[in-house]
Amino acid sequence: MIELFAIAEYPGPPLPALAPLRAVRAGSLAAICAPAEGVKVTPEALWRHEQVVEALMEDRDLLPVRYGTLVDDDAAAVRAVDARRDELSAALDRVRGAVELSVRAVGDPEDGDGEAAGGRGYLRTKMRSAAAQESVTLSLHKPLAALARADMRRSPRPPSELLRAAYLVDRDAIGAFTRLVARLDDRHPGLQLLCTGPWPPYSFAEA
Amino acid sequence: MSRKILHGPDDLEPFAGELPHLTDALSRRINTDQEGLERGLAQLVLTIVELLRQLMERQALRRIDGGALSEEQVERLGSTFMELDKRMEQLRHEFGLEEEDLNLNLGPLGNLL
Repeated sequence: MIELFAIAEYPGPPLPALAPLRAVRAGSLAAICAPAEGVKVTPEALWRHEQVVEALMEDRDLLPVRYGTLVDDDAAAVRAVDARRDELSAALDRVRGAVELSVRAVGDPEDGDGEAAGGRGYLRTKMRSAAAQESVTLSLHKPLAALARADMRRSPRPPSELLRAAYLVDRDAIGAFTRLVARLDDRHPGLQLLCTGPWPPYSFAEA
Repeated sequence: MSRKILHGPDDLEPFAGELPHLTDALSRRINTDQEGLERGLAQLVLTIVELLRQLMERQALRRIDGGALSEEQVERLGSTFMELDKRMEQLRHEFGLEEEDLNLNLGPLGNLL
Protein backbone atom coordinates (compact mmCIF):
# COMPACT_ATOMS: atom_id res chain seq x y z
CA MET A 1 0.00 0.00 0.00
CA ILE A 2 1.17 3.54 -0.70
CA GLU A 3 -0.07 6.78 0.79
CA LEU A 4 -0.79 9.78 -1.44
CA PHE A 5 0.26 13.24 -0.28
CA ALA A 6 -0.28 15.57 -3.19
CA ILE A 7 -0.87 15.98 -6.90
CA ALA A 8 1.69 18.23 -8.58
CA GLU A 9 3.21 18.80 -11.97
CA TYR A 10 5.66 16.39 -13.54
CA PRO A 11 8.58 16.96 -13.58
CA GLY A 12 9.05 19.02 -10.42
CA PRO A 13 11.88 20.13 -8.13
CA PRO A 14 13.65 17.46 -6.02
CA LEU A 15 11.47 15.96 -3.30
CA PRO A 16 12.15 16.86 0.36
CA ALA A 17 13.85 14.17 2.46
CA LEU A 18 11.15 14.20 5.17
CA ALA A 19 9.75 10.84 4.12
CA PRO A 20 10.67 8.21 1.52
CA LEU A 21 8.76 10.20 -1.11
CA ARG A 22 8.41 9.33 -4.77
CA ALA A 23 6.76 11.14 -7.64
CA VAL A 24 4.70 8.68 -9.65
CA ARG A 25 4.30 10.08 -13.12
CA ALA A 26 0.88 10.25 -14.76
CA GLY A 27 1.42 12.23 -17.94
CA SER A 28 2.11 15.86 -17.06
CA LEU A 29 0.98 15.26 -13.47
CA ALA A 30 2.65 13.49 -10.60
CA ALA A 31 1.14 11.69 -7.64
CA ILE A 32 3.55 12.27 -4.78
CA CYS A 33 3.47 9.31 -2.46
CA ALA A 34 5.34 7.21 0.08
CA PRO A 35 5.00 3.66 1.42
CA ALA A 36 2.02 3.61 3.80
CA GLU A 37 3.10 3.55 7.43
CA GLY A 38 0.23 1.43 8.63
CA VAL A 39 -3.43 2.21 8.83
CA LYS A 40 -3.67 3.61 12.33
CA VAL A 41 -5.11 7.12 12.36
CA THR A 42 -3.55 9.30 15.03
CA PRO A 43 -3.12 13.03 15.50
CA GLU A 44 0.66 12.49 15.21
CA ALA A 45 0.29 10.74 11.85
CA LEU A 46 -1.98 13.54 10.63
CA TRP A 47 0.59 16.11 11.70
CA ARG A 48 3.35 14.18 9.89
CA HIS A 49 1.23 14.14 6.75
CA GLU A 50 0.68 17.88 7.05
CA GLN A 51 4.40 18.54 7.45
CA VAL A 52 5.21 16.58 4.31
CA VAL A 53 2.60 18.47 2.29
CA GLU A 54 3.88 21.79 3.63
CA ALA A 55 7.48 20.92 2.77
CA LEU A 56 6.35 20.02 -0.75
CA MET A 57 4.41 23.26 -0.98
CA GLU A 58 7.50 25.38 -0.35
CA ASP A 59 8.85 25.02 -3.86
CA ARG A 60 5.98 23.77 -5.99
CA ASP A 61 2.27 24.20 -6.65
CA LEU A 62 0.16 21.29 -5.54
CA LEU A 63 -3.24 19.92 -4.70
CA PRO A 64 -3.15 18.41 -1.21
CA VAL A 65 -4.62 14.91 -1.06
CA ARG A 66 -6.95 14.12 1.83
CA TYR A 67 -5.07 12.53 4.73
CA GLY A 68 -5.42 8.77 4.78
CA THR A 69 -5.76 8.25 1.03
CA LEU A 70 -4.18 4.86 0.29
CA VAL A 71 -3.86 3.02 -3.00
CA ASP A 72 -2.51 -0.45 -3.76
CA ASP A 73 0.49 0.45 -5.90
CA ASP A 74 1.95 2.90 -8.43
CA ALA A 75 -0.33 1.65 -11.19
CA ALA A 76 -3.40 2.36 -9.04
CA ALA A 77 -2.09 5.86 -8.30
CA VAL A 78 -1.69 6.50 -12.03
CA ARG A 79 -5.20 5.22 -12.71
CA ALA A 80 -6.62 7.47 -10.00
CA VAL A 81 -4.97 10.54 -11.52
CA ASP A 82 -5.80 9.58 -15.10
CA ALA A 83 -9.47 9.18 -14.27
CA ARG A 84 -9.70 12.83 -13.18
CA ARG A 85 -6.90 14.32 -15.27
CA ASP A 86 -8.84 17.31 -16.63
CA GLU A 87 -10.37 18.29 -13.30
CA LEU A 88 -7.03 17.95 -11.52
CA SER A 89 -5.18 20.00 -14.13
CA ALA A 90 -7.82 22.73 -13.95
CA ALA A 91 -7.70 22.74 -10.14
CA LEU A 92 -3.90 22.96 -10.22
CA ASP A 93 -4.18 25.93 -12.59
CA ARG A 94 -6.54 27.65 -10.16
CA VAL A 95 -4.13 27.40 -7.22
CA ARG A 96 -0.92 27.99 -9.17
CA GLY A 97 1.33 30.47 -7.35
CA ALA A 98 -1.05 30.86 -4.42
CA VAL A 99 -1.45 29.56 -0.88
CA GLU A 100 -4.34 29.33 1.54
CA LEU A 101 -4.63 31.73 4.46
CA SER A 102 -7.21 31.27 7.16
CA VAL A 103 -8.91 34.11 9.01
CA ARG A 104 -11.14 33.84 12.04
CA ALA A 105 -12.75 36.64 13.98
CA VAL A 106 -14.29 36.44 17.43
CA GLY A 107 -16.32 39.10 19.20
CA ASP A 108 -17.98 39.28 22.58
CA PRO A 109 -20.54 36.52 22.93
CA GLU A 110 -24.16 37.63 22.93
CA ASP A 111 -25.45 38.15 26.44
CA GLY A 112 -27.89 35.26 26.06
CA ASP A 113 -31.02 36.97 27.37
CA GLY A 114 -32.92 35.11 24.62
CA GLU A 115 -32.99 32.04 26.83
CA ALA A 116 -35.02 33.77 29.49
CA ALA A 117 -37.18 35.97 27.32
CA GLY A 118 -39.06 33.22 25.48
CA GLY A 119 -39.94 33.20 21.80
CA ARG A 120 -39.45 36.88 21.15
CA GLY A 121 -36.10 36.90 22.93
CA TYR A 122 -34.98 33.93 20.88
CA LEU A 123 -35.80 35.68 17.63
CA ARG A 124 -34.25 38.94 18.84
CA THR A 125 -31.01 37.11 19.58
CA LYS A 126 -31.14 35.56 16.12
CA MET A 127 -31.68 38.94 14.53
CA ARG A 128 -28.79 40.48 16.44
CA SER A 129 -26.47 37.70 15.40
CA ALA A 130 -27.63 37.93 11.77
CA ALA A 131 -26.91 41.66 11.89
CA ALA A 132 -23.47 41.05 13.41
CA GLN A 133 -22.69 38.53 10.65
CA GLU A 134 -23.80 40.95 8.00
CA SER A 135 -21.64 43.71 9.39
CA VAL A 136 -18.61 41.41 9.60
CA THR A 137 -19.17 40.44 5.98
CA LEU A 138 -19.02 44.06 4.94
CA SER A 139 -16.23 45.24 7.19
CA LEU A 140 -13.89 42.22 7.18
CA HIS A 141 -14.71 39.62 4.59
CA LYS A 142 -15.25 41.92 1.61
CA PRO A 143 -11.93 43.79 1.91
CA LEU A 144 -10.01 40.55 2.54
CA ALA A 145 -11.69 38.78 -0.37
CA ALA A 146 -10.70 41.71 -2.59
CA LEU A 147 -7.02 40.88 -1.98
CA ALA A 148 -7.55 37.17 -2.58
CA ARG A 149 -7.87 35.14 -5.75
CA ALA A 150 -10.73 33.14 -4.27
CA ASP A 151 -12.43 32.80 -0.92
CA MET A 152 -14.45 30.23 0.98
CA ARG A 153 -16.56 31.04 4.00
CA ARG A 154 -17.58 28.47 6.54
CA SER A 155 -20.28 28.71 9.17
CA PRO A 156 -18.81 30.43 12.20
CA ARG A 157 -19.11 28.64 15.49
CA PRO A 158 -21.51 30.45 17.83
CA PRO A 159 -21.68 32.20 20.16
CA SER A 160 -18.51 34.29 19.84
CA GLU A 161 -17.12 33.45 16.41
CA LEU A 162 -18.25 35.82 13.66
CA LEU A 163 -16.05 34.93 10.73
CA ARG A 164 -14.35 31.74 9.62
CA ALA A 165 -12.99 31.91 6.13
CA ALA A 166 -10.20 30.72 3.87
CA TYR A 167 -8.58 32.89 1.23
CA LEU A 168 -6.52 31.81 -1.75
CA VAL A 169 -3.75 34.41 -1.82
CA ASP A 170 -0.89 34.88 -4.29
CA ARG A 171 2.41 33.97 -2.65
CA ASP A 172 3.76 37.48 -3.15
CA ALA A 173 0.63 39.06 -1.64
CA ILE A 174 0.85 37.28 1.73
CA GLY A 175 2.54 40.32 3.33
CA ALA A 176 -0.09 42.73 2.04
CA PHE A 177 -2.88 40.42 3.17
CA THR A 178 -1.41 40.07 6.67
CA ARG A 179 -1.01 43.84 6.96
CA LEU A 180 -4.64 44.30 5.96
CA VAL A 181 -5.70 41.83 8.68
CA ALA A 182 -3.68 43.87 11.21
CA ARG A 183 -5.31 47.12 10.04
CA LEU A 184 -8.80 45.63 10.21
CA ASP A 185 -8.04 44.31 13.69
CA ASP A 186 -7.01 47.83 14.79
CA ARG A 187 -10.11 49.33 13.25
CA HIS A 188 -12.45 46.99 15.16
CA PRO A 189 -11.62 47.07 18.86
CA GLY A 190 -14.56 44.77 19.70
CA LEU A 191 -13.19 41.97 17.52
CA GLN A 192 -10.13 39.76 17.68
CA LEU A 193 -8.67 38.44 14.46
CA LEU A 194 -6.50 35.41 13.91
CA CYS A 195 -4.79 34.85 10.58
CA THR A 196 -2.85 31.64 9.98
CA GLY A 197 -0.95 30.15 7.09
CA PRO A 198 0.43 29.69 4.60
CA TRP A 199 -1.45 26.41 4.23
CA PRO A 200 -1.72 24.05 1.30
CA PRO A 201 -4.85 25.08 -0.64
CA TYR A 202 -7.11 22.62 1.17
CA SER A 203 -10.27 24.66 0.65
CA PHE A 204 -9.62 25.28 -3.02
CA ALA A 205 -8.41 21.88 -4.20
CA GLU A 206 -11.85 20.44 -4.90
CA ALA A 207 -11.75 19.69 -8.58
CA MET B 1 2.90 25.87 15.10
CA SER B 2 3.40 29.49 16.21
CA ARG B 3 5.26 30.20 12.96
CA LYS B 4 1.93 29.64 11.22
CA ILE B 5 0.35 32.60 12.96
CA LEU B 6 0.62 35.58 10.65
CA HIS B 7 -1.48 37.83 12.83
CA GLY B 8 -3.23 37.19 16.12
CA PRO B 9 -3.64 38.25 19.73
CA ASP B 10 -1.08 37.21 22.39
CA ASP B 11 -3.74 35.17 24.11
CA LEU B 12 -5.18 32.58 21.74
CA GLU B 13 -7.71 31.27 24.24
CA PRO B 14 -10.76 32.72 22.41
CA PHE B 15 -9.78 30.67 19.35
CA ALA B 16 -8.93 27.44 21.14
CA GLY B 17 -12.42 25.93 21.27
CA GLU B 18 -11.41 23.95 18.19
CA LEU B 19 -9.15 21.30 19.62
CA PRO B 20 -11.60 18.86 21.19
CA HIS B 21 -13.60 18.93 17.95
CA LEU B 22 -10.51 18.03 15.94
CA THR B 23 -9.85 14.97 18.09
CA ASP B 24 -13.51 13.95 17.80
CA ALA B 25 -13.40 14.33 14.06
CA LEU B 26 -10.33 12.14 13.79
CA SER B 27 -11.83 9.33 15.81
CA ARG B 28 -15.14 9.59 13.91
CA ARG B 29 -14.07 9.76 10.31
CA ILE B 30 -12.59 6.27 10.13
CA ASN B 31 -15.74 4.49 11.21
CA THR B 32 -17.26 2.53 8.34
CA ASP B 33 -19.21 -0.10 10.21
CA GLN B 34 -22.99 -0.43 10.37
CA GLU B 35 -23.29 2.27 13.00
CA GLY B 36 -21.22 4.57 10.81
CA LEU B 37 -23.55 4.02 7.87
CA GLU B 38 -26.65 4.77 9.93
CA ARG B 39 -25.00 7.88 11.19
CA GLY B 40 -24.19 8.90 7.62
CA LEU B 41 -27.84 8.56 6.64
CA ALA B 42 -28.96 10.49 9.70
CA GLN B 43 -26.43 13.17 8.85
CA LEU B 44 -27.88 13.57 5.38
CA VAL B 45 -31.49 13.68 6.56
CA LEU B 46 -30.73 16.11 9.37
CA THR B 47 -28.82 18.33 6.96
CA ILE B 48 -31.92 18.69 4.82
CA VAL B 49 -34.12 19.35 7.85
CA GLU B 50 -31.63 21.92 9.12
CA LEU B 51 -31.66 23.63 5.71
CA LEU B 52 -35.45 23.94 5.83
CA ARG B 53 -35.37 25.12 9.43
CA GLN B 54 -32.87 27.86 8.62
CA LEU B 55 -34.80 28.97 5.54
CA MET B 56 -38.04 29.25 7.52
CA GLU B 57 -36.30 31.06 10.33
CA ARG B 58 -34.79 33.61 7.96
CA GLN B 59 -38.16 34.09 6.33
CA ALA B 60 -39.68 34.73 9.76
CA LEU B 61 -36.97 37.24 10.63
CA ARG B 62 -37.66 39.11 7.42
CA ARG B 63 -41.37 39.30 8.17
CA ILE B 64 -40.70 40.58 11.66
CA ASP B 65 -38.26 43.10 10.25
CA GLY B 66 -40.99 44.27 7.91
CA GLY B 67 -43.23 44.87 10.95
CA ALA B 68 -46.05 42.77 9.53
CA LEU B 69 -46.57 40.63 12.62
CA SER B 70 -48.26 41.30 15.95
CA GLU B 71 -46.40 40.86 19.22
CA GLU B 72 -48.36 37.71 19.90
CA GLN B 73 -47.55 36.21 16.50
CA VAL B 74 -43.88 37.00 16.99
CA GLU B 75 -43.89 35.30 20.37
CA ARG B 76 -45.57 32.20 18.93
CA LEU B 77 -43.17 32.00 15.97
CA GLY B 78 -40.22 32.50 18.26
CA SER B 79 -41.24 29.71 20.63
CA THR B 80 -41.80 27.37 17.71
CA PHE B 81 -38.35 28.03 16.29
CA MET B 82 -36.78 27.77 19.70
CA GLU B 83 -38.37 24.34 20.20
CA LEU B 84 -37.27 23.24 16.74
CA ASP B 85 -33.74 24.39 17.48
CA LYS B 86 -33.69 22.42 20.74
CA ARG B 87 -35.09 19.32 19.06
CA MET B 88 -32.45 19.48 16.32
CA GLU B 89 -29.77 19.75 18.95
CA GLN B 90 -31.13 16.64 20.68
CA LEU B 91 -31.18 14.70 17.43
CA ARG B 92 -27.67 15.82 16.56
CA HIS B 93 -26.53 14.73 19.97
CA GLU B 94 -28.18 11.33 19.60
CA PHE B 95 -26.26 10.66 16.42
CA GLY B 96 -23.03 12.21 17.70
CA LEU B 97 -23.07 14.98 15.09
CA GLU B 98 -21.58 18.43 15.39
CA GLU B 99 -23.29 21.50 14.06
CA GLU B 100 -20.95 21.74 11.09
CA ASP B 101 -21.53 18.10 10.21
CA LEU B 102 -24.96 19.21 9.00
CA ASN B 103 -23.66 20.73 5.85
CA LEU B 104 -22.81 19.70 2.32
CA ASN B 105 -19.90 20.87 0.28
CA LEU B 106 -21.33 21.82 -3.10
CA GLY B 107 -17.91 22.26 -4.70
CA PRO B 108 -17.68 25.51 -6.65
CA LEU B 109 -20.99 26.68 -5.14
CA GLY B 110 -19.52 26.57 -1.63
CA ASN B 111 -21.35 25.09 1.30
CA LEU B 112 -25.06 24.39 1.46
CA LEU B 113 -25.51 26.13 4.80
